[in-house]
Amino acid sequence: MPLPVALSLVDVTVRYAERIAIEAVSLEVRRGEIVGLLGPNGSGKSTTLAVAAGVLDPASGAVTVEGRTRAANPAAFAIRVGLVPQDPAVYDELTAAQNLTFFGELYGLAGSDLRRRVARTLARVKLTDRAQHRVSTFSGGMKQRLNLAAALLHDPPVLLLDEPTASLDPASRDSLFADLTRFRDDGHAILLTTHHIDEAEAGCDRVAVLEKGKLVASGSPSDLLLAKPADRAVLYGHLRTRPPKYLERAITRRLGTGVELEITGRRLRLSADTSEQLGVALATLLAEGIELDAYRTPAGALERALRSEECGAGERP
Amino acid sequence: MTNKLSLTLTLARKDWRLFWADRRAAVLCFIVPVLLASAFGTIFSRPSSGGAANLSVLVVVEDDGPFTRQVANDLLASPRFDAKEVSRAEAEAAVAHRKAVAVVLPGGFERLKSWQPGVTTEQPELLLLHHPNAAPERQMTQGVVMEAVMKRVTREAFADVLKGDDAALTPPFRVEAMAVSPHAGTQFNSYSHSFCGMTLQYLLFWGMESGLLFLRERQRSVWTRVRAAAVPLSCVIGGKSLATAFIALLQVLVTFGVGYVAFGVRIDGSVIGFVLLAMTACGLAAATGLLVAAIGGTEARARNVSILVILGVSMLGGLWVPGFLLPAWARDVSLSLPTTWALRGFETVTWQGGGLRAALPSIAVVTGFTLLLLLVAALRLKFTERSLRPGQA
Repeated sequence: MPLPVALSLVDVTVRYAERIAIEAVSLEVRRGEIVGLLGPNGSGKSTTLAVAAGVLDPASGAVTVEGRTRAANPAAFAIRVGLVPQDPAVYDELTAAQNLTFFGELYGLAGSDLRRRVARTLARVKLTDRAQHRVSTFSGGMKQRLNLAAALLHDPPVLLLDEPTASLDPASRDSLFADLTRFRDDGHAILLTTHHIDEAEAGCDRVAVLEKGKLVASGSPSDLLLAKPADRAVLYGHLRTRPPKYLERAITRRLGTGVELEITGRRLRLSADTSEQLGVALATLLAEGIELDAYRTPAGALERALRSEECGAGERP
Repeated sequence: MTNKLSLTLTLARKDWRLFWADRRAAVLCFIVPVLLASAFGTIFSRPSSGGAANLSVLVVVEDDGPFTRQVANDLLASPRFDAKEVSRAEAEAAVAHRKAVAVVLPGGFERLKSWQPGVTTEQPELLLLHHPNAAPERQMTQGVVMEAVMKRVTREAFADVLKGDDAALTPPFRVEAMAVSPHAGTQFNSYSHSFCGMTLQYLLFWGMESGLLFLRERQRSVWTRVRAAAVPLSCVIGGKSLATAFIALLQVLVTFGVGYVAFGVRIDGSVIGFVLLAMTACGLAAATGLLVAAIGGTEARARNVSILVILGVSMLGGLWVPGFLLPAWARDVSLSLPTTWALRGFETVTWQGGGLRAALPSIAVVTGFTLLLLLVAALRLKFTERSLRPGQA
């Protein structure tokens, strides 16, 4: 029997002045599942997450968390949602414990209950030994874990994560997904945004694909991957080390027309008109000394959606 | 209500912790106003005898006559001058570098010897050379020269009457200077003025700094989390104001505490008036900060505009130098500034020894300005927050 719906968006539209950021988006996230919101930059992922968190108001449609709207009772809505912004939303000048205490107090927690929750949450994200250390001394991965802890502290049924792996190395990313899987198993409903298809496939139970502010596909990652063959050959890889910019530019020139190379952090996306071209491009990369830890070639609706990088809608101007 | 109060205190406590997170910067916030006030107080303090440093004057004598010689000797012997005789070229070089003011007694000056009241119409010239920036020195020199020349002319004109008795030339009256302040028995202490003025100026700078911190905070993703927590704007404004005002109050206590211990700055008037003024001035600092955050735009823009405004209202408000040194238009403008009233209030209850009633107008005006700035800042912040929620009407 499926667990109850925790977060529901029904026909939600958000406009920035005359421009439509997301249009008639309907989405449900149940307790005990991780839903990935997938789409290229500017497709409306962050806007969808912001409206789900109650940070933005929809122009039309309804957002409910466990049946409550923000307009009816902002505090009751807010306490049921934990938001994890893309950049660590914590104070570098304060210690980990001070940060969590502050955010806990914002949600009305106090006294021994708050202290207990702070200790428990720090333990959940494996930061107990750094509780009294300033955040400015933390690594990127530790900051992201504290960022997550701040959203978990008041134990909300719904967790919203905006590009949670954007600045993480592969090890931290794997650790984060292991944490998210545990939280899902604890009964949290998790909605996260990503534009990495492999993350969506490996870490999410369901995927919703946004394109130009509209929801164009939704289902399990495997269903979507097999839905239709892609019209371009694509390869995703993890780089051992990121090449310097000048080398990246030189390689891009050498790859010629019809081949696209994208490097974000240590992630690589290589696409070509044909699989033969893709093979040649991969050989060129390896010949230039680019080392890959792993690579794979997906296909289907997810890839098609992610290809439209210049969709021109969605993100705040 | 309790929940809102608790949220406000939570936000204020967070700002308090952020303030102390950089302890060296926090300590500097207390040291800088003390140093500024001490420096200004030292610059403007004078010994109680009232003695000012003698003016450096050069005398150039271009006339050979005995009368001119006597005038030159009188000037060289003046107790108000540190004078010496030089050539015209030396005098011009020294004046050009603002080392002195020069008095030139040109050829033909001797004709003044035969001056007769109501008879002589010819006016020999006496030249004063001064640096373009030395108008006050010129004025003082002119006064002393006028006195010396007129004494000598009078001696010549009334030689028959005086018969060599120089004592008869003593002015027939005495000048007695008496300081009069609004409250009896008070004595000006330049440190009191500088500690009042510099404390007020630094409070405004602290308000600006607090506003810039708020501006920065609102541009960081941490603010998204605060907004997601559905914290009412009134609590945000309340928390920020409370923290800024409380830290400002500590600055007032520390600055005046050092002023009391080290420089004898005392509250000779109403202590309650002083406390109320300190509180309203701290409220003004908090309101200034909120206004900076509300209308500042980018941080760089907000900083530059704030510095300009704060220095402007400090100068016109008489926080640097006493207001009477300002031109008349500036004195008129200053009445519309909160700094003028705050300074008046502080001076009333410190060295002027005024009571609470005397300080009330200042307290009322500063409170009025504080409420006005708070209102403008709150409305602007409310508008900005609404514009960040695009679905709202």
